Amino acid sequence: MTNSIDELEKADCIFVIGSNTTEQHPLVASRIQEAVRKNKSTLIVVDPRRIPLTEDAYIYARITPGTNLALINAMLHVIIKEDLVNHQFVSSRTQGFEELKASVAGFSPEIASKITGIPTSTIENMARIYATTERGAIVYAMGITQHVTGSKNVAALANLAMITGNIGRESTGVNPLRGQNNVQGACDMGALPNCLPGYQKLEDQRVVEKFKRVWGDFSCEVGITVTDMTHHSDANNIRAMYIMGEDPAISDPDINRVKAVLADLEFLVVQDIFLTETAQLADVVLPGASFAEKDGTFTNTERRVQRVRKAIQPVGESKADWEILCEIARAMGCDMGYSHPSEIMDEIASLVPSYAGIDYNRLEKGGLQWPCPDKDHPGTKYLHKDKFAEGLGKFTVNDYIDPAEMPDEQYPFILTTGRILHHYHTGTMTRRSWALESERPEAYIEINPSDAQRLGLSKRSKLRVTSRRGSLVVKPLITDAIGEGVVFMPFHYNEAPANILTSGHVDPKSKIPELKVTAVRIEEVK
Amino acid sequence: MPILKKKNLDTLLQIWKLEYVILAPSRLGNDVLLAEYNPESFTLEYVNFTLPPKQYLFEMKEKLYDWEKNEDGSIKLKEPSLNIGSRILFGIRPCDAYSVAYMDKFFSENYSDPNFLAKRSKTYTVVLNCTEPGSKCFCSSIGTGPFGREGADMMFTPLGDEYFVEVLTRKGERLMHSASGLFEDSSPEYLVDKARLLKETKAKFKAEIDLDHAAELLDRNYDNHIWDLYTNKCVECHGCTFVCPTCLCFNVLDSADAEGGTRSRHWDSCQSSYFTRNAGGHNPRSETSKFRYRIYDKLKYITEKFDMHGCVGCGRCIQTCLGHLSIIDIIRELQKYEEDISQSKSGEHRRDCNLYIPQIAVIKEIHQETHNIKRFIVQYEDKDLHKSFKYQGQFFEITVFGVGEIPISIPWAPSNNEYFEFVIKKAGRVTTAIHNLEIGDKIGLRGPFGRGFPTEIAKGFDLLFIGSGVGLAPVRTAILHALENRESYGKIVIIARAMNYDGLIYKQDLKNWENIDGVKVIYALSEPSEHVEAYTGKLDALLKSLDLDWKNTRAIVCGSPQRIKLVAQDLVDLGVDENQIFTTLETHMRCGVGKCGHCKVGSKYMCLDGPVFTYREMKELPPEY
Repeated sequence: MTNSIDELEKADCIFVIGSNTTEQHPLVASRIQEAVRKNKSTLIVVDPRRIPLTEDAYIYARITPGTNLALINAMLHVIIKEDLVNHQFVSSRTQGFEELKASVAGFSPEIASKITGIPTSTIENMARIYATTERGAIVYAMGITQHVTGSKNVAALANLAMITGNIGRESTGVNPLRGQNNVQGACDMGALPNCLPGYQKLEDQRVVEKFKRVWGDFSCEVGITVTDMTHHSDANNIRAMYIMGEDPAISDPDINRVKAVLADLEFLVVQDIFLTETAQLADVVLPGASFAEKDGTFTNTERRVQRVRKAIQPVGESKADWEILCEIARAMGCDMGYSHPSEIMDEIASLVPSYAGIDYNRLEKGGLQWPCPDKDHPGTKYLHKDKFAEGLGKFTVNDYIDPAEMPDEQYPFILTTGRILHHYHTGTMTRRSWALESERPEAYIEINPSDAQRLGLSKRSKLRVTSRRGSLVVKPLITDAIGEGVVFMPFHYNEAPANILTSGHVDPKSKIPELKVTAVRIEEVK
Repeated sequence: MPILKKKNLDTLLQIWKLEYVILAPSRLGNDVLLAEYNPESFTLEYVNFTLPPKQYLFEMKEKLYDWEKNEDGSIKLKEPSLNIGSRILFGIRPCDAYSVAYMDKFFSENYSDPNFLAKRSKTYTVVLNCTEPGSKCFCSSIGTGPFGREGADMMFTPLGDEYFVEVLTRKGERLMHSASGLFEDSSPEYLVDKARLLKETKAKFKAEIDLDHAAELLDRNYDNHIWDLYTNKCVECHGCTFVCPTCLCFNVLDSADAEGGTRSRHWDSCQSSYFTRNAGGHNPRSETSKFRYRIYDKLKYITEKFDMHGCVGCGRCIQTCLGHLSIIDIIRELQKYEEDISQSKSGEHRRDCNLYIPQIAVIKEIHQETHNIKRFIVQYEDKDLHKSFKYQGQFFEITVFGVGEIPISIPWAPSNNEYFEFVIKKAGRVTTAIHNLEIGDKIGLRGPFGRGFPTEIAKGFDLLFIGSGVGLAPVRTAILHALENRESYGKIVIIARAMNYDGLIYKQDLKNWENIDGVKVIYALSEPSEHVEAYTGKLDALLKSLDLDWKNTRAIVCGSPQRIKLVAQDLVDLGVDENQIFTTLETHMRCGVGKCGHCKVGSKYMCLDGPVFTYREMKELPPEY
């Protein structure tokens, strides 16, 4: 997030797109509700489903999955056409406006309306409200990133924020809600194929030298992404995998393919807290320790680094992940020499400028938001106050394209996948909790009442859902929360794994799979 | 009556600590909690503990038994060891102490709960009275505080630099005995001081809300649509039941392998979806039922079953709720709902003047609406009367001096308060006289009287207005009120009926309303018109063609009684709730205040109990009109 979670309470307009906030980030949703109910903030929600957050929305726009870029570009079009642009901000803090303007000149709300299914007037209203608000905040999540235009969608949102000056001030910004509790931290530490910790570039020799002085020599080869590994292992000559805290056999797209790849490996190591579907395929399983059994830090979506503290000893033979990695490294001939996670944090502080002021002593008093460049720095609430990372903000051109798989006669429904309140991802933890599992013990597919009626379905029916790659049987949940022609499945259940249906089409830049749009066919199983 | 000097409190706790485990107010991070007494973390700066004391008597997870399978296949059962040392819960508040008294009753009635009793028998409670309410506290509205005594073995009341101490039970005596040296005698003045402090404290804990009749209020409002609105805002975090002192539901779970295992009980919540779900998947409670149940249990069902308060007024659920919902706000909203519906039932006529003597008003403007309908804009001669005017009621009695007086409905919207507008059809002697008046002429006004259309907002509802001829006038008030709160409603359909276009009143308003987002105006005329697109067919077919959410539709219908009955029945057939169809029944009225008898139908006076009725109420009237 460019800004902080608390700041949402004072935002005058909150534009939520691609986030089922109430169910996935309930405390963020709580702030948004506070903003609406107490501070009369205007909430705009864009989602293919009538999610609980729409209860407080001033405008709810039901959007056809995969068409987000059409909407955002049309909003840019309206803002430019009706001269609601923040010229002062654009001229002093950005570059590339003319190219952007030209790129959306033809993308009228009428055109976008046909693509997205959102009425023209609604698109215009959303644009006007966001552009004329005092402090506008954008909130987004996987709903707009898990597409072949995922990176373009985010870039377009950045365009929207810059064109209206809704960035670099309190209660504004572009705010992705990160899914896993420490995905931000993992990215910060360079668990990415193309970056060193702190997003420092592998191509920068000075940076590489700095790391080599502490780490010794290491490979500077740019790696590959998850989807490249689990879908294109041959092409990338992958013969072994070491998977930590991830269950691609359920959570990656096109799991039939993924399982084939994993089965084909010469050597598979899985490090996890329970024996997951993926772990069951492993040659070696290393039992990791959960959050309650280890010391360390998690970095959350608002860049806040917070301590996680050991409350019990690791159960059985499980160990903290850092310990396991150190032991393996030692067996390979490299002694990293850490005796406690706080020492690791000290090393991080010495190598990653935005973490330079962070240590376990300071963290005792509460979390710190990076950038925190020195030991006296209080942390940073919001980014880009006076300038952007590279000086001026850059507008980008993001032309709309359709999702990779469009519905057709053979596969007439659009399947979109996601999560539900009570379960987390592959259910490694949540399906082992009696209270959570009892709430939602069974998989289901959301289908609109008109579609259900047309297909002659009742809530007792069993459905076979088939895509170009796989098939599963599941019970329907007939609800008008989902639109006609669209169906929704949570992907948590390994007995009806939604990802057996999804495709390996990815965003060309980030390689994120298009999990939100799959063409499927639905039949009743008699 | 003993007193304890405040400076001796630490010593007292140290003495007690020799014999008992002391659980005392401790500051841990941002919370003050009951925790083992430690002078470092001990604090007296708190309103109440973040968590109630129930966890010390009814733990989050409790073993019920262990079992083992022997080699010969027999099963050996082992009881849990329930022996614990004696402990004092020091510093709890009266609301939480009440919950201990409730737990006593709950766990002992019918069958005695051995796990609870084992802990309870070893637990002593020392209440420290609050003198300042917290922001969400409402013990005084419930009746459990301030200074409530139930569940307390001893009670400390802070008075200056001392505590006034009361020993309330045998257990309290035992505690007193252990440290008798520290307590001093007090004089009878202390009782006076304590009474004064109680009075001052009660004044600070002003009763926020009348909960004495909460159970009856809930009884009457089980089907109120408000419950759906709240359910949608609940995020199902179960925080409310977790922090509630009287929530004691649990789940029983078995964990085992082939050789043996354990059965234990765990805190559970009626707010979980599966709480009432059967093995076959059927759940008798809908989401709304589930949400509503907790409120009913706390404010009605527990009292019915155990004759004790189910809610202690600690306010923790309000503080905790992630959806910003409050049990108190819900009761308030139901109370307001009922108040709005019965608004001006007993016409709140101005009490600053004689019931039968009119106020003078001046005609400011006259507009010809149709050939026999005129619209008059009038203003009190004493303009100040408009300032003290309260919008309510449904009609005024208009006097033409020397001719007579007639009741005319109020067609303007609540937010206008500088003039009155009357739409009058020339039908008789007085109305003819009114039609002959000119601008500047004086008339008399008595009122407003009668029960008007509901002003409470049916949030999210679709609205249907049907006005025939001059009947559109009383309906216009309700239309304007709805349009002023447009965002609270769904679709709005206005059907204006007449013989022909000329017979319609408020023609300009109808045109204006059509331009509002989500508002549809339909001209239902017997004769087609060249001025507007008119629907000339049957009304019931027209109704069927409307795309309204009938279950959540409120209809306001005005016309002749026969017409109203037919239309209302059509609407009920479409699914509209009988309590959401409103109409005005106009009968011959004279005095307007329920004395002269002319407007009586059955036992009801149209000028007092009406003229606005719901269809349900209308059906209960004898068919004499």
